[in-house]
Amino acid sequence: MKRGARYVAVLLVCSALPPILGRAGVLSSLRSVELSIAFCTAAAAISLNIIMGYAGQISLGHGAFLGIGAFTSGLLTLKGPQVPFMVGVLAAAIAGGLFAIVLGLPALRLRGLYLAIATVGFAFMMQESLFKWSRITGGSAGIEVPRPRANAFVFTRDYDYLAIVLAMFVLFWALDSNLVRSKLGRAFLAIRWDEPVAQSFGIDVSRYKLGAFVLAGALGGVSGAMFAHQYQFVNSSTFDFNNTSLLLVIIVVVGGLGSRVGATIAAISFSLMPGLLSWLKGWDLIVGPVLLMYVVVRHPRGLGAAMRERAEARARGSKVVTAEQSMPKLPAMPRPAAVAGRPEVLPGAPLLEVLDVSVRFGGLQALDGVSLTVPKGSIVGLIGPNGAGKTTFFNAVSGMVRPDAGAVRFVGADITKSPPHERVGLGIGRTFQLIGLAKDLSVRDNFLLAQHLFAGYGSASALLALPRATRVERELGERADQAIEALGFERFRDTPVLSLSHGQQRIVELGCALVTAPDLLLLDEPSAGMSPAAAESLAERLRDIRDELGRTVLLIEHNIPLVLDVCDEISVLNFGRILAHGTTADIARDPTVLGAYFGEAVVA
Amino acid sequence: MGETIVIGLANGGIYGLLALGIVLVYKGSRVLNFAQGEIGGLGLYLAWAIVEKGHQPWILGALAAVVACGMLGALFERLVVRPLIDAPRLTVTVATIGLLLLMIGIELHVSHGSPEILRGPIEGLGPKIAGFYVSPTRILALAALLVIGLGLATFLRRTDFGLGVLAASQDATATRLMGIPLKRVSMFTWVAAGMLGAIAALLIEPQIGAFAPGNPMTALFVRGLAAALLGGLTSLPGAFVGGLGIGVIESVVGDRFVTSTFPGIQTVAVMIVVVLVLLLRPQGILGRSRA
Repeated sequence: MKRGARYVAVLLVCSALPPILGRAGVLSSLRSVELSIAFCTAAAAISLNIIMGYAGQISLGHGAFLGIGAFTSGLLTLKGPQVPFMVGVLAAAIAGGLFAIVLGLPALRLRGLYLAIATVGFAFMMQESLFKWSRITGGSAGIEVPRPRANAFVFTRDYDYLAIVLAMFVLFWALDSNLVRSKLGRAFLAIRWDEPVAQSFGIDVSRYKLGAFVLAGALGGVSGAMFAHQYQFVNSSTFDFNNTSLLLVIIVVVGGLGSRVGATIAAISFSLMPGLLSWLKGWDLIVGPVLLMYVVVRHPRGLGAAMRERAEARARGSKVVTAEQSMPKLPAMPRPAAVAGRPEVLPGAPLLEVLDVSVRFGGLQALDGVSLTVPKGSIVGLIGPNGAGKTTFFNAVSGMVRPDAGAVRFVGADITKSPPHERVGLGIGRTFQLIGLAKDLSVRDNFLLAQHLFAGYGSASALLALPRATRVERELGERADQAIEALGFERFRDTPVLSLSHGQQRIVELGCALVTAPDLLLLDEPSAGMSPAAAESLAERLRDIRDELGRTVLLIEHNIPLVLDVCDEISVLNFGRILAHGTTADIARDPTVLGAYFGEAVVA
Repeated sequence: MGETIVIGLANGGIYGLLALGIVLVYKGSRVLNFAQGEIGGLGLYLAWAIVEKGHQPWILGALAAVVACGMLGALFERLVVRPLIDAPRLTVTVATIGLLLLMIGIELHVSHGSPEILRGPIEGLGPKIAGFYVSPTRILALAALLVIGLGLATFLRRTDFGLGVLAASQDATATRLMGIPLKRVSMFTWVAAGMLGAIAALLIEPQIGAFAPGNPMTALFVRGLAAALLGGLTSLPGAFVGGLGIGVIESVVGDRFVTSTFPGIQTVAVMIVVVLVLLLRPQGILGRSRA
């Protein structure tokens, strides 16, 4: 509530100052217009930062959303209905969001540069078709856009309208800061880092990507409307490609992707630049771009990153990151209430059944009719030479690869066609060979991400920081802190995972996988890169997971002594086929296994 | 119809030249060069100053423009691309937007915004082929395209350095291990991009008539980008053929469907093709799919 009160205070001050200063003769009309445009640009940059900075999807055509919002609000407040300003703004948000779905749905299939080019295409299509449709938008002649009015009062004076713009900007700022504190913002950041990792946290990647597009489109539409009511005019080239879409990309990148403060500073500097450089008398058009390139070369990751690095360097002075440590006891987290209703099977009964699964990559048969049953309460090892298909098998079980044939059953239900995030919800957790964490985020953020599926609140309560979202977030935070404490990682709480040692990252990954209380845990080479001492303690921890936490484990591992030590049963995979399956004692003696694994010579 | 297609092919070849520049830079630096069109735009101003203001022969102005644009590419590579070798690719892409703005800025500074005309190298109606006149510039354009396309292909495939350029995009480390310095590959692609931009600008200008800051080269950049994409962004022949395809589509749509309600229908048609290709065949029409 305190944060809310602060925002209201800032909002009141921001909207009271310009009219007072303007009437006192301190704030000129010209200055007001400059400031208004600067803050409209900052609002637009905040909206683009959501899709580009947080969700990591390069969007080079954001100007199209500004145009959509501007025309929507302009047409609705001017002609026919003559709706109030706020209704026009709301309509601009809806129109921007709807068009974002049109762009976002196909964009889900595209990545990186291809997506970037598709967004360029979208911007040009909008500019050349809808915005030039003379019957509706007036084409290059454009339409007039009225200033907002409240009863008899019209915000004609520029310092009065500046008050509205500043108030809207404070709202943008508040929404964005609520966003990054919620599961939405965390999900976006996880997607930016790595999509499979995000899926393993139970995040529905397509849905959240589309959500990021819609949010960015809606807020982009609103910022376009803010511009239009400032200019009191909009035509087909108001938001053209070079001067809007590309400018916003520059601002967001120079500001530092994902940095709201950076984007705001960059937006305001870029808008005020022409005024500040006007003494250059025409040379500003040359000095400006040169300055831009200079800043980009000096700070390739943007101003936001530069500021963050400075702050982190200062904080690091007092902290010592130890190199390696043995595996601490993993947290015995109580099962979250959200999991209580899951169907259960009796110990020893099959928890996971994989039936005749085949996966083909082009000419390579990665899995060829593999069947495997994992009984509840056991540790099953999956071993085999490199390229045998072990990780593909994990991907088929966790849903990241769709099998060409066969079925996967979990707790008796067929999950062959379920997407990865649903399987996480059913109770299948996994770790990755190369650490499945969002490594650019802090340890605590990763523990929050791991609880994504238990964050039972909607997008609206996330954005508005409604009591429900705040309460759930507090609970998640408490669980995260408990887990971090149980691991003895308190001093790394706010450290980015990247700066931990590999062994420490592995510990955090296991902790994150357990915090959701999965029934089945898929561990992909947990001992890889660990020191021998840590690997030894890992065996004990794996037994804890089975015996104390009552979980079932399917383990891929190259460390054969570890496998022989902890596993109840072992399957051997070679060239995509199950070579042998049996109890640990059987497998240790099996000559075909020894042949495949250690070479015929050893057996002979 | 025949005339429409010939015009489309001639324009398309020019888009193909820009696409070659885009693809080369993408191969060398994994960067989308937004300044690809506008570098040539600045070259036009130089040629115009030499030919129209200085009363020198066209070929002199053209050569100066090509050389200057190549040097501009080299300068940008040395001062911006190379220091950013470890930076995110999006950052370098933003730097190319900076270059684009700089080009437009210089153009505005020297021209004060008014459109200029650079006459073509050869004037007159030209020969009559299949019932209509084909202007000499257009014939020159087609010939130049063929020579440049074939010359570039031969250079890239028949020389060790050329093969290094082609390999650099697939595996930078392997290329370095083969003894091809990546710095030289990067430098080559940027110089070539600058020169291709200038040639494209010089060939298209007589067919459009006038030029102004940012115009028509920014619009042409988008068509070059579309062409590069049809080739899957990494295939040089694909980019060239893509250019021809875009030129023909644009020409036919422009001939048949332009109305006053939708004056920009050609651009929309080109963009629809781009989006369809992206969705149905992201590796491009001629590009190979990546595993």
